Amino acid sequence: MDPTTSMYVAQGIHGIAYGMILFLIASGLNIIFGMMGILNMAHASFFMLAGYFCYQVIAITGSFWAALLLAPVFGAGAGILMERIFLRKLHAFGHLGELILTVGIGQVILAFVKIFWGTESLPVQVPPILEGMVNFGGLEYPIYRLFVIGLALVVLVFMSLLLYKTRLGKIVRAAVSDRDMVNALGINIPVVFMFVFGIGTWLAGVAGVAIAPILTVFPGLADQVGMDAFIVVVTGGFGSLAGSFIVAIIFGLLSSYGVQFLSQLAPVLMVAFMAIVLAIRPNGLMGVEEK
Amino acid sequence: MNKTTKTILWLVLLVILVFYPKIFGVYYTNVFVTFAVFAVYAVALNVLLGFTGLLSFGHAMFFGAGGYGTALALKHIEGLALLPAIGIGFLSATVLAMILCPLVVRVSGTAFAMMHLAFGQLLYVLALKLRGITGGEDGIGNFPIPPFSIPGLISIPMKGAPENFYYLAMVILGVSLWLMWFFTKTPFGQIQVGLRDNAKRIDYLGYKVPQSKAVIYVISGAFAGVAGSVYGLFHNLVSADGSLGILVSFAPITAAMIGGIGSFFGPILGTAVFQIIEEVTIRFTDRVELVMGVILIMVIMFAPRGIVGFITTMKQRWQSPSAAGAKKEKTS
Repeated sequence: MDPTTSMYVAQGIHGIAYGMILFLIASGLNIIFGMMGILNMAHASFFMLAGYFCYQVIAITGSFWAALLLAPVFGAGAGILMERIFLRKLHAFGHLGELILTVGIGQVILAFVKIFWGTESLPVQVPPILEGMVNFGGLEYPIYRLFVIGLALVVLVFMSLLLYKTRLGKIVRAAVSDRDMVNALGINIPVVFMFVFGIGTWLAGVAGVAIAPILTVFPGLADQVGMDAFIVVVTGGFGSLAGSFIVAIIFGLLSSYGVQFLSQLAPVLMVAFMAIVLAIRPNGLMGVEEK
Repeated sequence: MNKTTKTILWLVLLVILVFYPKIFGVYYTNVFVTFAVFAVYAVALNVLLGFTGLLSFGHAMFFGAGGYGTALALKHIEGLALLPAIGIGFLSATVLAMILCPLVVRVSGTAFAMMHLAFGQLLYVLALKLRGITGGEDGIGNFPIPPFSIPGLISIPMKGAPENFYYLAMVILGVSLWLMWFFTKTPFGQIQVGLRDNAKRIDYLGYKVPQSKAVIYVISGAFAGVAGSVYGLFHNLVSADGSLGILVSFAPITAAMIGGIGSFFGPILGTAVFQIIEEVTIRFTDRVELVMGVILIMVIMFAPRGIVGFITTMKQRWQSPSAAGAKKEKTS
């Protein structure tokens, strides 16, 4: 491979890796919205929180693998607590209240993060096996980003199996389309809600751990990546995982090639893409009409 | 409250407003101008959110359009007077709303909110990137602020005279508020409540739903533009983060929620509460976001219909304790 082609390929893989991380966050947001109708503005804060948990677990145990296993679980625990203590009580007052509440919770999480860990960027070390470059046919590529793509794919497959092949997944999908009916059939909807919220924040947590070694962990992380993930869900269509996936990959590629060719206007590309899609299909690329 | 008491109350309020800068000094005068700007902005958003039931996640684009319109006009047009400059801000927000309304009136609910998020972010990013026109992150600062003048009669300098600017801002913002109040009381303004509660029925009654929505939308955008324009003049600076950012879009939504979105004066109350909390908190700690977040959570948890809703509920309970008690039994 000559240097130009290899550069293009490298940028492409970069884009896909970023798109995969966006998809992990976006899918959590999407599941929560599809099922509960809650637009969780604090979602990106849980993503950031998991990044900090990851840093903390590594500081204590010294193992990245332990962090990968534990940090998302802690993040999910925080999410479940928020659902149980706050969101559940607000359900009667409509979605606007829930939305504002999650904005408030996002601010509180940001403040706590600043109190506990300070405002500077914290580096996260990857284990030696993921360090360094891999060489295929003249193209040097960092292993860690390939690992991120693989991790996201594994999570994706696991999620699809859970949603489409298990009894639990059936209940969740049924609850998305008609919550009251499922409740009437004797299934404890609040528990299912809690479970779904936990899964959603867990997904954000996995993304938080995956991105920590690339971007380091800092308090602006939630705003920076969270907004992108939010845009992905909006453009792909609420309630549609396939839509989120397609748009996440497109956005990843747009941002990596955009930086290369039009470094000035790279962020404009993404937002313009969203504006055009929404102008033509107001419910997103693959979203369904509201009832 | 009878009419005489009401008139007296309004007169007292007017007198307080007139003498406010003399009593409280420059610092609090400036605080009050900021409050007034955001109050008008929140009321403009509430015309859309509370009365028509349309949540806009990107109202900052109108706020910013007003600010940038005024700033660019003053920077590039030699000898432009003050009121026309504010008029240009008003017009640019109106034109922006008119461009967008054919797209956005087709939808409502989440899709409406999301489209606004999209266009708001688009304008924000464009303002950051088109450095040649908007000055990028630095924004447009130090543009000339002409004196307020009626040719041949008076000329009042505005630059470096916060007291004069206070009176100007009060008049413009007060007139905007009064116009919006008046608008919600017209027969056409009453349609918007109908649009919120049952759009189909309004359609059957023979009103044109998309067109009515469009007019309300343009009005809401235009007054947000006036607020943005005054804000830009007040700081003598218009920047992407200060006038177009996502936080600028959220501020009036939270203010309206805290105050109570069903009422006209709720958002003003909400803005006041926010302003006071910020002023007080900043004296003791720099963790303003923690305090703000906690207060937001508390209000939503314990008074989900905002302060005005909370007061109404309390009043009802006070006036008919037996009925409220019965209701309580029923729910528990």
